[in-house]
Amino acid sequence: MGRMDNFSPVDYGELVQEDRIHGSLYIDDQVYDDEMDRIFHKGWVFVGHESEIPKHGDYVTRLVGKQSVVMMRGKDMQVRIFLNRCQHRGNQLCPQKEGNKRAFSCPYHGWAYNTEGELKDVPFAGGFDKPFSDFNLEQPRTDDYRGFVWACLAEEGISLLEHLGRSTELFDRACGLAPEGEVDLTAGWDRHQYLSNWKMLPENDTDGYHVNFTHRSFVEAIDSQYNDFVQDEDTIEGVVIDWGMGHTEIDFSRGYKEPLKWLGVTPERVPEYVAALTEKHGEDKAMELLRVGPPHACIFPNLFLGEMNIVIFQPDGVGGCVQWHTPMFLKGAPQLNYRLLRQSEGAMGPSSFLVADDATIAQLTQRTLEEGQKNWCDLSRGMGREIEEENGNLVSHMTDETNNRGFWKHYKTIMVA
Amino acid sequence: MVTDADEKALTRFVYREARFADESKYDEWEALWDDDAVYWVPRGEGDFDPAKHVSHLFDHRQRIATRIRQLKTGYRYSQIPVSPMRRIISNMEFFDGEKDGELEVQYNFILAELAIQSTHETIYWTGRVTLKVRPGGDDFLMFYKKIVLVNGDEPITSLSFLI
Repeated sequence: MGRMDNFSPVDYGELVQEDRIHGSLYIDDQVYDDEMDRIFHKGWVFVGHESEIPKHGDYVTRLVGKQSVVMMRGKDMQVRIFLNRCQHRGNQLCPQKEGNKRAFSCPYHGWAYNTEGELKDVPFAGGFDKPFSDFNLEQPRTDDYRGFVWACLAEEGISLLEHLGRSTELFDRACGLAPEGEVDLTAGWDRHQYLSNWKMLPENDTDGYHVNFTHRSFVEAIDSQYNDFVQDEDTIEGVVIDWGMGHTEIDFSRGYKEPLKWLGVTPERVPEYVAALTEKHGEDKAMELLRVGPPHACIFPNLFLGEMNIVIFQPDGVGGCVQWHTPMFLKGAPQLNYRLLRQSEGAMGPSSFLVADDATIAQLTQRTLEEGQKNWCDLSRGMGREIEEENGNLVSHMTDETNNRGFWKHYKTIMVA
Repeated sequence: MVTDADEKALTRFVYREARFADESKYDEWEALWDDDAVYWVPRGEGDFDPAKHVSHLFDHRQRIATRIRQLKTGYRYSQIPVSPMRRIISNMEFFDGEKDGELEVQYNFILAELAIQSTHETIYWTGRVTLKVRPGGDDFLMFYKKIVLVNGDEPITSLSFLI
């Protein structure tokens, strides 16, 4: 995939330092190629959620780095991921972004595959002597955690659970808010084009420092749960957490005193939901789940558990990326869906009250980096006050750059390998 | 049957609404909305229920007010400075509304937006609008504006101006 044998002249050890990173990492085509190879084509990449394809033959197409893949539900109800290419001459099998099929038929020469990826028909088979079984669709390594399906194009390497590490707790927290213990991603995905490097998405989405500045118009115009996190430095109770393996979080829950602050309501406003969760967990645990709320966490490299949104980061060339978002519906609480839809559009996407401004800032950053020769970006904030908790997490004040350092530390371990 | 007089009056309203949007005249534009407003930019063709599926933008009257309030804070960076814009409107077709006195117009548009606050590139937005009005204000008040973008199911750049 790309250049020969992955030789790269880029010295990542020099460009990624503990307290600063070099701006060329956002603008260099060679860096982008190396990232595609080492992060997206050799490591685990989030593809989609099982709830997106509930029925036999349902599928969605996604990108894993540069590689188009199809995530499909087979006749045996297993979820599989196929490379989106015919095994004959490499034509793209499925140009649609979603749908339901009982077979893939290649439009070039009519080779046909079933929903389990097996080659079933080669037209005019008299001239073709090879066994069909050598031509089943290619399946990358695939695994899921709580319905979140990941792929790894490399045959060898760590398992998904090793990649997720301690961050499985964040998935558990998200799913634990659902009375049936599962999230339901059935609202469709909105896609927002950024004209900036993809790494600005994971960096910014768990950056607790910019909220009061980039989002000043939001804070002034809209009363939200974030109001308690933009006051004086001394009164902010939220923290940032480096979970290791490049996974990072803003934990607002340390500032939440009451249940459902994260949803912007009191329990009386959503009685069926509170009752359903209480029935499952008992009152004490339900109230604690409702106080803590969902994670606000980036899972390396391309997934954002964005409170009540699920977000995908899709690189799109060195100077572009696409941020996908969908509201995180909770199985067993459909009465929240309308509110979650409107909150999702309010927070994420091209017309939102929040990330429309992040996109502009990211684009300005990208332009400035492209101008410079000796750009260093400082990430030292909080190095003197972050603390390591018992489980190994690094925790610091919400405005500290512990998260950014956590992202880049992991990035470096992959990129110098 | 929509009368010629209604067509002319509604055409004037459509052009005025477009000019307020082009020039980011927020108060004048907001005053064109009735209380039961739906301002909607769906994904794709918009052939889905916005109560079940996510849209680019789906505002009722209160959220339109919030949107305008945010734009007027002076810190809405995705519109500082505001995008210079001009839109061309064509292919108008007029229909009776569901209730007496209500009218509907559908039209195609091409909108040139200069992203002056970031890339300085000119972005062309194209699509079809369904606009529903009833008598009120200086002539009409609009209560439904659905904007179906040609590229509405593709990734789109920030859309925090008035479309």
